[in-house]
Amino acid sequence: MYAYEALPVAEWFRRNRELAGFHNPTRALYQTVRELVENSLDATETYGILPTIYLRINIEDEQKSWVSVYAEDNGIGIPGAEIPNVFGRVFYSSKYRIKQHRGVFGLGLKMVVLYAQSTTNKPVYVRSAALKSDKIYEYQIMIDTNSNSPIILDRKEYPNKYRWHGTAVKVYLEGSWLAAKKRIEDYLKRTAIIAPYAEIAFKGPDMELWLKRRTTKLPPAPKEGLPHPKSVDVDTLKQMVAESRGMTLLEFLMESFDAVGEGTAKVFLEWAGFNPNMKVTAMTPEEMVKLVEKMKQYGGWRRPRSEWLSPVGAELLEIGAKAILGAEAVFAVTRKPESYGGHPFIVEAAVAWGGQIPPSDKPVLLRYANKIPLLYDEGADVARKVVDEFNWQNYKVKFPASLAVIIHVCSTKIPYASAGKEAIAEVPEIEKEMRLALRDAAKKLRLYLSRKEKEMEMFNRYVSLAKYVDEIAHNLAITSRLDKDKLAKHLHKLIETKIGLTVEELVKHTLSLSAAPQEAEETAAQ
Amino acid sequence: MTTRAEFLKRLESWGVKLAKDVLELKEPVMEIPARTLGNTIWDEKARMLKLGPEKMHRRFLDMKEARRFMQTVLMLRLIVEAIREDVYPTIRDLYYNGKHTISFKDPLSRVHRENTWDEQSESNAVIEDIEVATNVLREEMGVSADVKGKIVGPIVVRSQGYELDASKFGETALSLPVNVDGLEIVKVEAAYVLVVEKDAIFQRLVREKYWSQENAILVTAKGMPDRATRRFVRRLNEEYKLPVYVLTDGDPYGWYIYSVYKSGSIKLSYESERLATPDAKFLGLTATDIDAYKISDNYVIAANDRDVKRAQELLRYPWFQKPEWTREVNLFLKKKKKVEIEALSTHGLKFLHDYLKDKIRGKKFID
Repeated sequence: MYAYEALPVAEWFRRNRELAGFHNPTRALYQTVRELVENSLDATETYGILPTIYLRINIEDEQKSWVSVYAEDNGIGIPGAEIPNVFGRVFYSSKYRIKQHRGVFGLGLKMVVLYAQSTTNKPVYVRSAALKSDKIYEYQIMIDTNSNSPIILDRKEYPNKYRWHGTAVKVYLEGSWLAAKKRIEDYLKRTAIIAPYAEIAFKGPDMELWLKRRTTKLPPAPKEGLPHPKSVDVDTLKQMVAESRGMTLLEFLMESFDAVGEGTAKVFLEWAGFNPNMKVTAMTPEEMVKLVEKMKQYGGWRRPRSEWLSPVGAELLEIGAKAILGAEAVFAVTRKPESYGGHPFIVEAAVAWGGQIPPSDKPVLLRYANKIPLLYDEGADVARKVVDEFNWQNYKVKFPASLAVIIHVCSTKIPYASAGKEAIAEVPEIEKEMRLALRDAAKKLRLYLSRKEKEMEMFNRYVSLAKYVDEIAHNLAITSRLDKDKLAKHLHKLIETKIGLTVEELVKHTLSLSAAPQEAEETAAQ
Repeated sequence: MTTRAEFLKRLESWGVKLAKDVLELKEPVMEIPARTLGNTIWDEKARMLKLGPEKMHRRFLDMKEARRFMQTVLMLRLIVEAIREDVYPTIRDLYYNGKHTISFKDPLSRVHRENTWDEQSESNAVIEDIEVATNVLREEMGVSADVKGKIVGPIVVRSQGYELDASKFGETALSLPVNVDGLEIVKVEAAYVLVVEKDAIFQRLVREKYWSQENAILVTAKGMPDRATRRFVRRLNEEYKLPVYVLTDGDPYGWYIYSVYKSGSIKLSYESERLATPDAKFLGLTATDIDAYKISDNYVIAANDRDVKRAQELLRYPWFQKPEWTREVNLFLKKKKKVEIEALSTHGLKFLHDYLKDKIRGKKFID
C-alpha cells in the first residue's frame, strides 16, 4: 500500500479495479454487497456484538442499469469526525495491525465509493453513530480523485435519542442485478453458514432472503498482534519503520515483532550483521531489503503465535451448515494452529451429510478464507484438489452422495492463488492441514454412518417381523376364536422384547439419525 | 373311523396353543417334524421310508422364519374354515384363497408390500407342514390335489353308489378319485398290477389289449405319482395280495419313481405307511437291459450332467443300498447311457409285450 501512495487516486483506481473485482457491472454489484456486508460483520462480531444486517438492492434506472445498495448494521459505528476520511480518503484506515480481518486496510470500501461515483456520479450516503454517541451523523460524500480528499456534499446531525449505534451506507452504481442475483444469494447463504450468529435480512428487486440468527454464541474475537519477523515484506517494514519513533534496531525488533525477546533479537542481529544500536530510521533501502531477507532466512525464531486468529469453531460451523444446507448431520473440526512462512493459520473443515443437500457425484465444496466465502475460481483452489483426492470410500461414502464439504482457512495472511483473491494457493503446509482436517471430520462422519447403518438394520429387523403381525393375528384369531386385537398387541410386544427397544424408542433412534432438521427452509447453496 | 370334526379339533387346538402362547407373551413356536433327507429314516424291517424324530422349530421372532410362520398360520385358518364350512377345496383353491398382498406402513411411513405367497409350491409346503405337525393328513382334512392316476383292467369299484367296471372303458380309462379310500372295491379278478410311468405307454397297452391278454390291472400316474394313485396301488397289493410290477424309463428319474411307489418319498415319508407298496417289483428298464435286450444305439441317449448327479444321489439313499441296485446305478454311471421305454421298439412295436412277459414270467425283476 505504502508504495502506491505517490500515485494519484484516479490512477490507483484504474490500476486496481480489476484486482478488486470491479471490472464489470455484474461483478461490481456482487463485490459491493460483499464489501458492505463484510465491513458490517467486522464492525459487530469483532467487538462482541451479535450482527444484525439489513441489505437492500433497488433498481434505480433500468435503462442505465443503475442500482442502489443499502446496508445497515448495528456495529460500533464511526465517530462523526472520522466519517469523511473513512469514506472519502483512500489509504485511510483503522485496520493497520495484523489481526485477522475480513477486509484488508479498508480499501474495499473506498473501491465501492470510487466505482459508484465513476459510474453514476452520485455521492455515497452514510449515517452512523458510534457506541454511546449522543448524536447520529449523516453525510453525503464523494472522493476528489486528484487530491485524494473527501468532498462533503451534505452533513447533518441528529440527536441519538435511542442510543442507536451502527452504520448505514447507501451507494448508487451501475450494476446488473439479474446477472449477479445468484451469486449474491449464494454469498449471503454461505456467509450465514459461517456466521450463524448473524441475522441478515435481504431484499432485492424480486427476491427476499431472511437468514435468521441460529445461535447467540459468537466466536472469540481475534486479538491484535504484531507481525512475525518471517512474515514481513519490505513495504510493511517501511511502514513499521515510519511508525517507530526513533527506536534503535534492537528496540525495534523487540517492540514491533511477535515472538522476539532481547536475547533472540541480539543473537539475530549479530548473525545478520547489523548494529543493534543503529537507529531504524537511518536504514538505507538496501539495508531494509537485507533485513527482510535475513529475517526470513533466520532459523532461530519462535513459532508465530495464533492468538490473533479467529476460527469459527466446530460448534458454530455445525449449526450454520445444518440450518442453511438443511443437512441431516454435520461434523466439523478445528485444527491446531500451524504456520507457513511466518504466518500463523488454522484450518477448519466440516462435512455435511444428507438432508436437503442434492446428491451429486462429487462433494459440494464451500470454501472460506477468514470467514469470507470464496465463490469464484474453485478449480484453482487447493481445497478442491484436497477434496477431489480424498479417498471417500474409506469413510463409508459412496457417490452419488448428499455431501458438502466446508473448508475454512484463517490466517493473518491468506496465500491467494490469483489476484482475484477467490482461491487459496497450493501451500504445502496448508494443503496438509486441509487434508488432516478433512480426515478428522470424515472420521466422525464414518462413525455416524456406521451407527446409522446399525440403527437402520435394527429398524429393518423390526419391520421384517412387524409387517406380519396383522396377518398372523387375524388368522390365529379365526382359528382359535380368541381376540384379534389382543393377539396383535401381544405380538408387537414380543417383537419389542426381542429387539430390546420399544417402537417409540426405535423410531426416535432412527429418526434422530436420519431426519433433516425441520427448520431448514433454505435449499443448499450451490 | 375318525370323523372330519375330530380332525378339525386337532387342527384348532394347534392354533389355540399358538394363540395362547402369544397371549401369555411367550414366543409362539411351531414344532414341525423335519421333512428332510436327513430326517428320513429307511426302516429296513418295514421296507419303507419313515419320518425321523428330528423336529424343526418355526419361530415367529426368527427373521428367517417369520414369513413361513405367517404362511403356516394363514394356511391353518384356510383349512380350519374349509372344514367348518364343510367344503372340500383343492390345494390350488387354498393357494388362491390365501394369496393376497400384505401392506404394512412402518413408523417412518414407508409402505412395505408383500404377497402372502407367490408360488403354489409355497402354499403346498405349509400344507405338508401342517399335516406332519398336527398328524392330520390332507385327505383327512378334505383337501385334495389333482389326481393324475387312472386304471384299466378287471376290477369293479363303487363310487357314490355307481358301480364302475374298469374293463369296460374301451380305449379310455377310469380316473381315480381324490379320496381313493372312499372308493369301494367290489370285485377284483386280476393276476397282477402293472404300473406304467408314462401315459403314452399306458394308452398303447390299453389299445393293444395287453391287460385282457394278461388279466392285469394297468395303472399310470403320468410320471411322479400323486398320493391317491400310490394309495390305490397299495390297497390292491395289501387288500387283494396282487403282485405289483413297475415299468419306467431306464434312467435315475424313472428308478426314483419306482422307489416312491415301493418305499415312499422323502417329502412325504410320514405317509409311507399308507402309501408305500414294499412288495412292488421293478421290471425295467434297467441299465443292464440295454445289452441284455440288444437295444439299438439309435434308441440309446447319452446321460447328461443332471442324470449323473441324480444317479450319484440315488447311490447315497439307504433304500437303494441293494446289490442289484448299486450294480445298475454304477453301470449307468459307467456307461452314461439311458433309454426310454419306447426304446423297446428296437425289435418292433410288439416287442414291449414280449419284454414284459419275459420279465414277469422269468422273474427277471429287481425287488
